[in-house]
Amino acid sequence: MSSSNDVGMEALTEPYYEALRRGELVVQHCKACDRQIMYPRHLCPFCYADDLDFVAAPTTGVLHSFAVHRVGSPTGFEEDLPYAVGVVKLEGDVQFLARLWPDADGDWGRYACDAEVVFRAADPAEMERRPVPWFGLPG
Amino acid sequence: MSDKGRDTEPVFIGIGEQPSGRYPNRPFMGDLVRVGVAAVKDAGLTMGDIDTILLIPCLHSPADQADLVFSRVVEELGLNKRAKSQYMVHSGGSTSDNTIRDAAGLIESGHAKNVLVLQAEKWGSAPVKDMIDMLTANGIPREWEKQSGLSFNAVGALIQRRYMHDSGSTPEDMASVCVALREWANLNPNAMYKDKKLTVEQVLASKMITDPIRAMECPMLADGACALVLTSRGNARKLGQERVVRIAGSGGCVSHYSIGQERELGVLGWELAGVEAYETAGWGPEDADIAEIYDSYAAVLTSGMEGLGLAPKGEAARMFARGEFSPGGRLPTNTNGGLLSAGHTGVGGGTALLTEGVRQLLGRAGAERQVEGATRAVCGGSGGTYMDSQVLLLEGVSA
Repeated sequence: MSSSNDVGMEALTEPYYEALRRGELVVQHCKACDRQIMYPRHLCPFCYADDLDFVAAPTTGVLHSFAVHRVGSPTGFEEDLPYAVGVVKLEGDVQFLARLWPDADGDWGRYACDAEVVFRAADPAEMERRPVPWFGLPG
Repeated sequence: MSDKGRDTEPVFIGIGEQPSGRYPNRPFMGDLVRVGVAAVKDAGLTMGDIDTILLIPCLHSPADQADLVFSRVVEELGLNKRAKSQYMVHSGGSTSDNTIRDAAGLIESGHAKNVLVLQAEKWGSAPVKDMIDMLTANGIPREWEKQSGLSFNAVGALIQRRYMHDSGSTPEDMASVCVALREWANLNPNAMYKDKKLTVEQVLASKMITDPIRAMECPMLADGACALVLTSRGNARKLGQERVVRIAGSGGCVSHYSIGQERELGVLGWELAGVEAYETAGWGPEDADIAEIYDSYAAVLTSGMEGLGLAPKGEAARMFARGEFSPGGRLPTNTNGGLLSAGHTGVGGGTALLTEGVRQLLGRAGAERQVEGATRAVCGGSGGTYMDSQVLLLEGVSA
């Protein structure tokens, strides 16, 4: 189902999606108070200025928590099973939900809360289909 | 309690409830009027005494929700041209707490005399896949999180994994939360799982659904209905009521919209909500006789118990494992079986817990599960992706 938010949202979504399609990660930034903002907002949630742009984000972060879908998914994700999502915190005090790559064992057993994770985009077709940040283990 | 209480003070005087579970032959509107009539009778009133109806929404059907908004209940209850006002309050699983605050304000200010709060849900009879997709489509930011494939169970799993990391709780500890709730449900004739026992071994042997949450740690969608009646304490005295339940304190915290924006997934907003509630009540968690805290996943409950001071930080799950919150334990908790074992009736899960708190404080929980001398209850609800933590502190008193 769509919402009235969907119309005109491109100004917020497109710069973010577009970077992801290029295999890059950006976050929103307020030029007035120089703070980073995630998720992107219409006005700065700190100083309410509307002078916002997007800046390159650090590519390493810390995993706050994660969950592995093994059985059952929202419609459209059945073929992805099993798959994992996690909340990643970046330097600059921003955080967001991301997809997590399987580890060297092909599962997510090597991930841990508060451990380091690294931005690593999925292939262009996947990023085109579902623009979402993907993170993996370092190395 | 010798508190005389002012005449205008809002108090609970009656409750009604339909059993939770799968009841496809029980129509939505039928459930609403049945619990309404039961609560009004329990309150010692007649339906004509009700001047205000506050409606807790259903999630199973936009059409049924529209019926609520457009006064169908007033007509079904024969209150045409007698009801002064009827409207819906909605904040997901914390709706009951916000509705009670609304009812209390209306009574205290004289805008309402007798308020009937009504809730019904048909989640147990609705197509499961549709309901799960609805939960995934709404309340999860469609621009930023939906394309990651986040399911509602994953929201619970993100909270549970972080809680386990922070507290060092084991899968056995977390499973024991579900087992304690099942022990309570076994004492509640209105619970979905009133007849089914549950062990830690069974929970741990059940299929991993959204790691670290297993099948038997997921709430089961249920049909259910609840109603509550509130009036002023002065009116309760005139009616000859002996015992009423007052709202001693109230506090809340809206912590996030997106689960990806919650800064402390193992903590949520409970601590901030509790401070204000205890301050207004003039009593603390150590004075509570019972707790009725939102529990659609084990860690939602354990974070609530800790944030509200009912368990030391990091200890709640282990205390569940030791039986401290079970029947016969130190602090009876979620005495109806909670959402996890009485049934997840959508927005109504919080309403059922609140109804149980009022029922216990009125002394009407029946021989099997009535907590003897229960006077003070800590009640808490949470909506959406645990976007808020809402607390009501209730106290049973002589009218």
